[in-house]
Amino acid sequence: MENLWIGIVSLFGDPIALLLFFAALVAGLLFAALPGINMVTLGAIILPFTIYLEPSQAIMIYGVIYVAGTYGGAVMAILFNIPGSAENAPTALDGYPLTQQGKAGLAIGAAIVSSSLGGILATILMMIAAPKIGRWAIHAFGPPEMFALIFFGLNVAASVGAETFWKGWLSVMLGLLLACIGTDPAGGLTRFSFGTYYLLAGIHFIPLILGFFAISEVFVQGEKMVTLKYKAPKVGLTFPSFRDFWNMKICIIRSWILGFCAGVLPGIGATLAAFLSYNEAKRWSKHPERFGKGELEGVVASETANNAATGGAMIPLLALGLPGGAITAMMISVFMIHGMEPGPLIMVRAHALVWELFVAMFLANLFIFFLGYLETRTVVNLLKIPFRLLCPIILLLSTIGSYALRNSLFDVWVMILAGIAGYFLRRSGYSVAGIILGVILGKIGESAFVKAIIIIDYSWLGFFDRPVCAVLLVGGLVTLGWNVYSSFRKRSTP
Amino acid sequence: MEKNTFWRIALVLTLVAVFALPATPFAMEKPNGFPNRPMTMIVPYGAGGGSDQLARAMATALEKVVGVPVKVVNKPGGSGVAGLSDFFMARPDGYTITEHIDDAATLYASGVIKENPSEDWYPACIAQIAFSQIYVRPDDKRFPDWDAFVKYAKENPGKIKLANVANVGSMERVVTSLLEDDQGIKLTQVSFDKPAERYGALVGGHVDALFEQPGDVRPYMESNDMKPILTILNERPKAFSDVVCLNDIGAKFKPLFRFRGFFIRKDVPKDRQKYLEWALKTAWNSDEFQKFNRKKYMHLINSYRDIEGGKVLVEETVETYRKMGVKK
Repeated sequence: MENLWIGIVSLFGDPIALLLFFAALVAGLLFAALPGINMVTLGAIILPFTIYLEPSQAIMIYGVIYVAGTYGGAVMAILFNIPGSAENAPTALDGYPLTQQGKAGLAIGAAIVSSSLGGILATILMMIAAPKIGRWAIHAFGPPEMFALIFFGLNVAASVGAETFWKGWLSVMLGLLLACIGTDPAGGLTRFSFGTYYLLAGIHFIPLILGFFAISEVFVQGEKMVTLKYKAPKVGLTFPSFRDFWNMKICIIRSWILGFCAGVLPGIGATLAAFLSYNEAKRWSKHPERFGKGELEGVVASETANNAATGGAMIPLLALGLPGGAITAMMISVFMIHGMEPGPLIMVRAHALVWELFVAMFLANLFIFFLGYLETRTVVNLLKIPFRLLCPIILLLSTIGSYALRNSLFDVWVMILAGIAGYFLRRSGYSVAGIILGVILGKIGESAFVKAIIIIDYSWLGFFDRPVCAVLLVGGLVTLGWNVYSSFRKRSTP
Repeated sequence: MEKNTFWRIALVLTLVAVFALPATPFAMEKPNGFPNRPMTMIVPYGAGGGSDQLARAMATALEKVVGVPVKVVNKPGGSGVAGLSDFFMARPDGYTITEHIDDAATLYASGVIKENPSEDWYPACIAQIAFSQIYVRPDDKRFPDWDAFVKYAKENPGKIKLANVANVGSMERVVTSLLEDDQGIKLTQVSFDKPAERYGALVGGHVDALFEQPGDVRPYMESNDMKPILTILNERPKAFSDVVCLNDIGAKFKPLFRFRGFFIRKDVPKDRQKYLEWALKTAWNSDEFQKFNRKKYMHLINSYRDIEGGKVLVEETVETYRKMGVKK
């Protein structure tokens, strides 16, 4: 409680800090709302300027951007099928269909409330138990557990957004294949690089997301324009009621737990959190067939989880100095720029700074609730822009977003090719979300596997000597078996 | 008398030279106004890592010397290869320089890149040269020191898991195999490409030891989560006087270093090369950069090289890797 007070005083006692807080909040929301140009871009742009700030202010800004950006990505995912980053991809699966049904307000309202709620609960838990959870996580989760979790996650990937079980798995396999391109994580040997330096770095998932979702959507809508079937979506401003949320309380709690836990694990983070809880929402739902066609619960599940993960991700960073993603890695740089060594002692040595960050993240989540409400009233009107004007804007922004990733034109070509491929894949019932998750999980999963198999001395049974690992692997196998069984049963009784 | 004056003048000149050389930033004139627009510094590694931190510290110091903004651009991927394509594609006018590390030598020795990092492109400044250490957990009862470590490794060949960045032909892998041969032990190397995972694996108990440079794990030593049991240097450096070094354990190989520097292309005009060499050296000598480098333990051994010194360092490294049979 005393700590909390320190945090509040240092944030509110400093007018500049307060000003920066709001600037970061608005900038995070805006940057996340532009496709491809997300909070990571914003973070990279402001990094050199943080040297002129107090360390506590600089770190606080990143925490706020992280929170605001994770929510902000949902808006474009819902309105235009352009997820700002990978963790908003499952939001688009149901959010965009809702928009097309004229229920954009409903979807965005749900995203706001669930993001805010997920984030607030996560920051509270972070304040209570950060050091303990951090220690526990790195002891309990080594490379074998990481691999087992990814294996479990792949099953999830296969059941998200595809027409049939088999098409889902084919989509994931394609993603895994794409993940093989580049430098292998075991010995640094090159695979499928065809002698170009560009392919050595592998295919990044950001241009894939922009291509598969945004570009292919431009094609789909363009086709409708040409065939005169295009209908502009109605602008819906109905907000979800308290009752809507009360009915989804179990889903919210489940997604929050999944999100927080996934966030704590370095390297797993918000993306898997969002996909996992989307899938669990679908699995436990009474109407799983509604998912992917505009089920509000899908939006709620993924947005609760990805914002809960932001709180989780701070734990390994602050308790142990271990960053889990791009934004947390930049926070390490900020510490360094100011001559502080992030590590296990940061919570002791920079006590006030850490608590100011906690308070700022808590407030940022709270403000999303109010700002988001205002934002929705205005941002939904973007849907009124005629498609013939919107289409080039989307193409332009996606191109910038792909280029900005590594400042390389190669990624723009990847995006265009993914757009064309995505158009055909989506038409034939394959899941572009599955492919993207395959790419992301394929890279982390292979890297975890090669370490794990060395650690357990190349004995496959070694995976089952570790309890957490065994539970996850068995869970994955059971899910897989069940899905195969039910897809055969469906086929035999048409 | 004659002789005396000669010696006196000589002494004065020497003293002036000694005091003036490292300190005087007597401004070198810009060759034909170069640079007069912002410069680009490519970092072929991700934001937040050791290379990125170094590049940003150097860019800040360099801006003050050259008087134009220095823009840091991260182009990570493929052990430092992905950024190189842009470096080689940019115009050789000296406005684009790239940060790179000893991986450059690995990449060239193993044939992944064709451009020789001591001829076709070379360091205008080596800014960090770091020695490595082997770390264990302080509460690990099995091996409190190096002797116990070797004893345990001999009794349990391959049982000790050592976390490092064991890309084929990397400095880490080469040094570890030299160490294994020399001490007659067998370790199992587990390659972790991300530093955070590498440190977490040791602290979390998933591996037994870690191969790393002290500047990167300083906080974990201070919090007593890691402790060094071997310094891979011939002599004990002052800051680690209680840790055994190569001479103490009778090792007969030359230590290899992790080095980081700033590279230019050979087709950059010579006067601009000279200017960049001077500017980077002046920036390196600046107080703020020295403060940064000190925190990374870079003051324990001489960690600066100019163009000539840098070329020699890279060349020697490539040669060692070649001898070790580093192949693609």
